[in-house]
Amino acid sequence: MWKYLLKRSLLMIPTLLGVAVVIFFLIRIIPGDVVELRMSGDTGSVSEEILKSERARFGLDKPVWQQFVTWIAGVARLDFGTSMWTGAPIWDEIKLRFALSMQVAVMATLIAVSLAIPLGVIAALKQDSWIDYAVRIFSIAGLATPSFWLGIVFILSLLIIFKWLPPMVYTPFWVDPWQNIQQLIWPALAVGYRYSAVATRMTRSAMLEVLREDYIRTARAKGLWQKLVLWRHALKNAMLPVMTVVGIEFAFLLGGLVVTEQVFNLNGLGLLFVQAVAHRDYTLIQALVMLVAGFTILVNFAMDVMYGWLDPRIRYR
Amino acid sequence: MGVLLSVENLVTQFSTSSGLVRAVDGVSWDVLEGETVALVGESGCGKSVSALSIMRLVSEPAGRIVSGRIMFKGRDLLALSAEEMRHVRGREIGMIFQEPMTSLNPVLTIGRQLTEGLEIHLGMTPSAARARATELLSLVGITDGERRLRQYPHQFSGGMRQRMMIAMAVACNPSLVLADEPTTALDVTIQAQILELMQDLSRRLGVAMLIITHNLGVVARYADRVNVMYAGHIIERGTAREIYANPQHPYTYGLLRSVPRLDEPRRERLAPIEGQPPDLTRLPRGCAFMPRCRWRVDRCEAEAPGLRALNGTDHVTACWEAERLVKETRG
Repeated sequence: MWKYLLKRSLLMIPTLLGVAVVIFFLIRIIPGDVVELRMSGDTGSVSEEILKSERARFGLDKPVWQQFVTWIAGVARLDFGTSMWTGAPIWDEIKLRFALSMQVAVMATLIAVSLAIPLGVIAALKQDSWIDYAVRIFSIAGLATPSFWLGIVFILSLLIIFKWLPPMVYTPFWVDPWQNIQQLIWPALAVGYRYSAVATRMTRSAMLEVLREDYIRTARAKGLWQKLVLWRHALKNAMLPVMTVVGIEFAFLLGGLVVTEQVFNLNGLGLLFVQAVAHRDYTLIQALVMLVAGFTILVNFAMDVMYGWLDPRIRYR
Repeated sequence: MGVLLSVENLVTQFSTSSGLVRAVDGVSWDVLEGETVALVGESGCGKSVSALSIMRLVSEPAGRIVSGRIMFKGRDLLALSAEEMRHVRGREIGMIFQEPMTSLNPVLTIGRQLTEGLEIHLGMTPSAARARATELLSLVGITDGERRLRQYPHQFSGGMRQRMMIAMAVACNPSLVLADEPTTALDVTIQAQILELMQDLSRRLGVAMLIITHNLGVVARYADRVNVMYAGHIIERGTAREIYANPQHPYTYGLLRSVPRLDEPRRERLAPIEGQPPDLTRLPRGCAFMPRCRWRVDRCEAEAPGLRALNGTDHVTACWEAERLVKETRG
């Protein structure tokens, strides 16, 4: 097991290196660079000399491979440099937004899982009854509803019905938890609904399959309580595919909530991403991609370890 | 010996896309205390459904027990509430299933699966249940119980899993164990061991046993009495010795003739029963075996025969032409 963990951790390095190569060269293919965009903002025409000297300041005049080596050497020391647009250290740019996006992702996941598992189990148990249909409609609607639209509906109904607007300025959780939750619960719900729809459907179908297994019949023949048959014998077997879906969604949430963040006026990673690309802020884009990639790899890794815990037949070598 | 279980006119049906399947169609049989009874027949004759009906584990809503009574220790199991029935399952009637590979939960330890019944039915503490589980494992011939309890089913061989199933079935000292094809999925050498174990336990613990099988060899050796089933009906019943020496139904006779025997001179070839088992959604009005029968007469088509005794013993057969069959085959 420890050998497996070590092997998997070491394998992260080539994967991340691959990501680094791809993103580094890919963003340099996009026409225009940060210097041009920054300079042309005010006057519209800038002299070649100024552009040149600015490029030299960022090291953009050097051969691309040299730029890459300099950057990757920094990354290896966890130094992502400074933003080409604002000049601030990358970590300062990302820090708060990462905390915010992470919190929304965690909250949405909690909401999704605590909705999906009971609903999926009940729907499977009462297959083809009105409860099952209600759950299925609820989850299909969740898949069909864009999160940003649901977000708009939330804000409007809070405003119109309760004459109340959630806080629009971000307060970190450690500063004022209540204020923080009041703001972030709405995006978490809007995103969590769609997320729960995916997980509910997976729970339902996995449960339906497991409930037909011979060992469930054995458990019933032993005279166990129905609850025990469900929670102990069925659910643990049905959790594997559900965990997979939850893991994939969770990793996506970190950087993928561009529009929803916009709706709730949240300064999250998604928005930062879009801005960074628009500004051709190479160092920031690179750092963000590496962050999201590293996070996705970590989540996958955690999932694999979880499989082994859920199913003892899975052994790691 | 008193009657422990008595199935009376049990009818269990399944609604399928191709119509209503009359899996068990009005059968009656009983099991005496401490006795081993066999239910014999080919696949799909309703023998497994009979056992599942007793446990009320027929998969709903497709399957349904339509009518009949299942009297167990003076109570009709079909009239019990779900909660009362739960107390019967595992506590008073244990069950062993056919596929030891799929009948144990792959993600729970052997210990967990063995102790949960003890904790629930007998109110044992976890540590008492564990001690008892170790005992049970050694009772079914699994040594090193302490370590085995911590293992998972995939770490057990097929034979050991079936031993484990037996241990689970007898854990709470039931008075009846239903064994649904307990050896079909096992190697031949293991089959004998498992059957010996079951017989031994049945005698030692005084537990009655219903063995469901298509294997006549199993029946001959281990059963006191035999019920032969065909197309949802019992077509012959008697002591194992009687059924073997003196089959009175064309189907039983055909079954026995289709088995190779080592204690007789080798015949040219085995005599299989011609034709196919009937479609249970479209059973004929008369005798279900009639289309495959060598002794059929006009009456078989019009009227289904009931069980009757030829010679005043407990050996009964459902055949109009049983006398002729007996005379011709004895010659």
